[in-house]
Amino acid sequence: MTNSMSNLVKILESFNPFVEEIDEKEIKITVSPDKVVAVLETLKANGYSHLSLMTCVDWIDDNQLELVYILFSWEDGGKFLVSTRIDRSNPKFVTVKELWPVARFYEREIHEFFGVEFEGNDDMKPLFLELWDERPPLRKDFDPRDYSRKKFPDREYEKDVIKEAKIFRGEING
Amino acid sequence: MGEVKLFFGPNHPGMHGNFSVHMYVEGDVVKRARPLPGFLHRGFEKLMERRYWYSNIALIPRICVPEPDINEACYAMGVEKIAKLEVPERAQWIRMIVLELARIANHLMAVGGIGGPIGLYTAPQWGTADRDRILDIFEALSGARVYHMYIVIGGVRKNLTPRIEDMIWKTMDYIESRLPDYENLIFKNRILHSRLKGRLILTREQALEMGVTGVGLRATGVEYDVRKVDPYLFYDKVDFEVPTATDGDAFSRVYLKFKEIPQSIKIIRQALEKMPQGDKVNVPVSKGSALRRIVPKGMAYVHIESARGEYGFFVVSDGKNKPYRVAVRGASYPQGLYGIEKYLPGTRIEDVPIWLATMDVCAPEIDR
Amino acid sequence: MAMQELPKKDFFAPLKAWKFLGKRPVTIEVPNKVKREASDRYRGFHINDWSKCIGCGTCSKICPTDAITMVEVPGLVRDHGKLPQRPVIDYGRCSFCALCVDICTTGSLQMTREYIHVSDDAEDYVYMPTEKGLNAKRGLYEHGKAPLGWIKDENSDILDLVRVKMPMEEPEVRVKSFIEIVKGYSKEQAQQEAARCVGCGICTYTCPEHMDIPQYIESIYKGDLEEGLRWLYRTNPLSMVCGRVCTHRCESSCSVGVRGEPVAIRWLKRYIIDNVPFEEYDRILNIRPEKKGKSVGIIGSGPAGLSAAYFLSTMGYDVTIYEANARPGGVMRYGIPRYRLPDEALDKDIAFIEALGVKILVNTKVGQEIGFDEIAKKHDAVFISTGFGLGRSTRVPGTDHPNVKQALPMLKMIRDYLRGDGPKPPVPRKLIVIGGGNVAMDISRSMARLQTMEYGEVNVHTLSLERSFEEMPADMDEIEEALEEGVEFHPGWGPIEIVIEDDEVKGARFKKCLRVFDENHRFNPQFDENNQIFIEADMVIEAIGQAPDYSYLPQELQEKLEFVRGRIKTNEYNQTAIEWLFAGGDIVHGPDIIHGVADGYAAAKGIDMYLSKK
Repeated sequence: MTNSMSNLVKILESFNPFVEEIDEKEIKITVSPDKVVAVLETLKANGYSHLSLMTCVDWIDDNQLELVYILFSWEDGGKFLVSTRIDRSNPKFVTVKELWPVARFYEREIHEFFGVEFEGNDDMKPLFLELWDERPPLRKDFDPRDYSRKKFPDREYEKDVIKEAKIFRGEING
Repeated sequence: MGEVKLFFGPNHPGMHGNFSVHMYVEGDVVKRARPLPGFLHRGFEKLMERRYWYSNIALIPRICVPEPDINEACYAMGVEKIAKLEVPERAQWIRMIVLELARIANHLMAVGGIGGPIGLYTAPQWGTADRDRILDIFEALSGARVYHMYIVIGGVRKNLTPRIEDMIWKTMDYIESRLPDYENLIFKNRILHSRLKGRLILTREQALEMGVTGVGLRATGVEYDVRKVDPYLFYDKVDFEVPTATDGDAFSRVYLKFKEIPQSIKIIRQALEKMPQGDKVNVPVSKGSALRRIVPKGMAYVHIESARGEYGFFVVSDGKNKPYRVAVRGASYPQGLYGIEKYLPGTRIEDVPIWLATMDVCAPEIDR
Repeated sequence: MAMQELPKKDFFAPLKAWKFLGKRPVTIEVPNKVKREASDRYRGFHINDWSKCIGCGTCSKICPTDAITMVEVPGLVRDHGKLPQRPVIDYGRCSFCALCVDICTTGSLQMTREYIHVSDDAEDYVYMPTEKGLNAKRGLYEHGKAPLGWIKDENSDILDLVRVKMPMEEPEVRVKSFIEIVKGYSKEQAQQEAARCVGCGICTYTCPEHMDIPQYIESIYKGDLEEGLRWLYRTNPLSMVCGRVCTHRCESSCSVGVRGEPVAIRWLKRYIIDNVPFEEYDRILNIRPEKKGKSVGIIGSGPAGLSAAYFLSTMGYDVTIYEANARPGGVMRYGIPRYRLPDEALDKDIAFIEALGVKILVNTKVGQEIGFDEIAKKHDAVFISTGFGLGRSTRVPGTDHPNVKQALPMLKMIRDYLRGDGPKPPVPRKLIVIGGGNVAMDISRSMARLQTMEYGEVNVHTLSLERSFEEMPADMDEIEEALEEGVEFHPGWGPIEIVIEDDEVKGARFKKCLRVFDENHRFNPQFDENNQIFIEADMVIEAIGQAPDYSYLPQELQEKLEFVRGRIKTNEYNQTAIEWLFAGGDIVHGPDIIHGVADGYAAAKGIDMYLSKK
């Protein structure tokens, strides 16, 4: 990792992070949920002010949801993946819209796709889906194939493709 | 005068793609605006989890229609980063050429695209016609004009032949020869100036706060380009400049795109010269057929500078033959959602399509 | 950077646009006026060469849009290496990614440059590609004339054609002892090899025992060996043996093998058995049949006998095996050399069969220690699988000399010697082996080892009627490994006589063989009498085939049975003309272990049907 990144990692040590180096310019920092906002604030104050992406991963086997904030520094070219895991059965977290206003939309999206509630974010209307009546679709236990079979029956073709192929091959006369 | 609710899109001549904005207007002035994405939501992130690492190539380019190659490259590079896969050097150079060709194609379309909302109809004709020359290259190289499905995990699917190289050289010369015409007929045009100059100004603070990237950010005077700040492929081995402007208005955003075209041509020419010869342009990520190739456990975020700004893929693998999670950062996500809500109020109705066009709000990449 | 400023107002400024008035338009009208050909890599509509297509369905598995379904075609037959189905493509779903072309195991599926097909009927967008492709409406080309587009090359190929290299003993090392040559895959190697499988299941049909090959390979791929073991024991109780010495016909039909090296099915099977400890078998397989209170006697503990015993005991029958030799296993114990099949491997398979309650009475030769009638009386049904124990002789002059030997007794002697059960076999300095089959390879290579151990050098000449390695019935691997170990081959020679001087074997004379089979594919060798060679040797071993020994069967039974060329005729459930007597193995089908296992399985089903009715 670059010098400034290792300095930052040192500063962050007080939050008991679990640090993984993905490559020399990408570091993943896993902290407990209560420390996330403080970590994000520290990083933002130290040049990592660009929120590239905020997303979520469903670890169904551990009954946890992992929230990932990806921060990028335009000065340094480094990336920090700040990650934390929350309970999957009652997923709640705090909003970071004060830090990054655009996070409002990321949080809306995560609420819609993973079912996470963000305290402090009042706008939780569905963003992409209309009349959704199933569990949050990006959860691992949602099966899109079943859903679409139920909602949109497959088209049945009536043509005898085998006969047509045999006519093309000259095996039978059409 | 009372407030009127106006639906802008999804089917509207000034609308780019299937996207909708609900506006509350008083007269011609927008009071409030709400973005309504979702018309192009195809659930790609979910679908990708349920397909093999390799067969995802058919979905990925469809996330962004005008510039599909960035998706392919991001995804491939993300997987390669997790697997710590060494890609043949020639393949990396070919990727760079493809990405820059796609940038030119996208910028030509964007320069043309601005003609629609403002009523300058030479621009779309020219932009589309010249972009077609680049699509011809893609057709020869990858076998498809729009969705190339060419950059895959481990390299690219087919080698660049001398005939196609020759075609690229010639097309680059042609595009370069067309640029003065664009400059003269489009960027010195009175309509363009009166409609774009000084309109929809975004300050540097606003841009950074919003998380805008690409020309939207560079038009405020900063040289923030992922290719320079966090170089990927061989962008640190080629010589090019990042044009910037200080006005922050709609005109400078379009003009910067136009000014990036010669830089991309410069990169392509250097890449063609520096590229090593060889037959191998692809390595498998692991032993086995594509049905069962596995990627080791891990996660990575890879971003590249698309024509519309920072474009990223966040890839998670749990060590199986399918991705565990793929999340996409569309380049226009901030300006297309938050930007509309925050910056459109106070502008006039006719400015709304200009915002969408000059900020490159791309519905498919927001919806995914 | 300076922004473009608006130029000053100028009366002549509009003139600069006028030069474009004279330019020709760049748009063209397609397809009525101009035939715009697509590029030579274009991914258009598919064609499928039916003579090459094997119906493996890999295209439909890789398809990201579920556009390809495999449909069975009446008129095509299921055959070795072929399934009677062909892909049907729904162009309402196809995304033209060409992954199906890139993964096609045979290369039969390809894409053309045809890109226009206009129809208002949705039925026109689904079709089964043939050599001629889609009959494109308003297309560019006549039906069947569209040039090829996207072609798979080594960069775009996404099938893995190269096998994971099996760690083997080097020839210089292995010829010094009877150490097992193949060392077996590690976990990582096995998973990598399993990842090459496309799961088409064509091999299942080819396997005489129809083992669940794609299923257990997938278990290896997933790392679940317990599930893999259950798949193996569903059809084959001798998986450890088969994992080592099976003739692996499955691999010859493997779809990956059409263009590359087939998946190492045999070694993957072996990997499962090698890596599940014997103590776990009972828990994993959990065979707890309900006892039926009926008993079956089995004569001979070779592959067929053991297989029948296993399946019968899983059905709840009491099984007793009568074995003439001191150890069970038949040809696996006494025929196959130890460097290919160590005793321990066989012991593991047999131990599990015994753990199921099968009694194996060794040193019990039927006809001597116990009468056949007594066995018939004791049991409700009898299964005979006594194998081909007698050697065949060329009967040329001199073959009655004591130093002219038969391969099978020699192999048995060598194995007994190696495990300390018997005396050391005679080791000649110079040896001639006559024969071109796997037994000839076994004895040549075994003797080469003994020679190296005794004298430090190999001097084995192996002569066969067949005129090339390809013609020889032995496996190519065997021939190659024998060559590496120093065995000299002389293909295309038939023996004239064994030269004996002073009562000592001095060598043998051979004549050139011109052809082995006649026009009707019957064995009818023709020789060039003028072209002769003499090869020196002090021992000659004949390995030209084996014969059955039915002397234990009472005369009146033998009369009731039907024999076809020395083999007993049975129905599909291996039932002979005598309804309580079932037979299997070499005396019914041959020629290898997996056919024996299949016979045992079929006979067990037959015996169960017979006894349930009784």
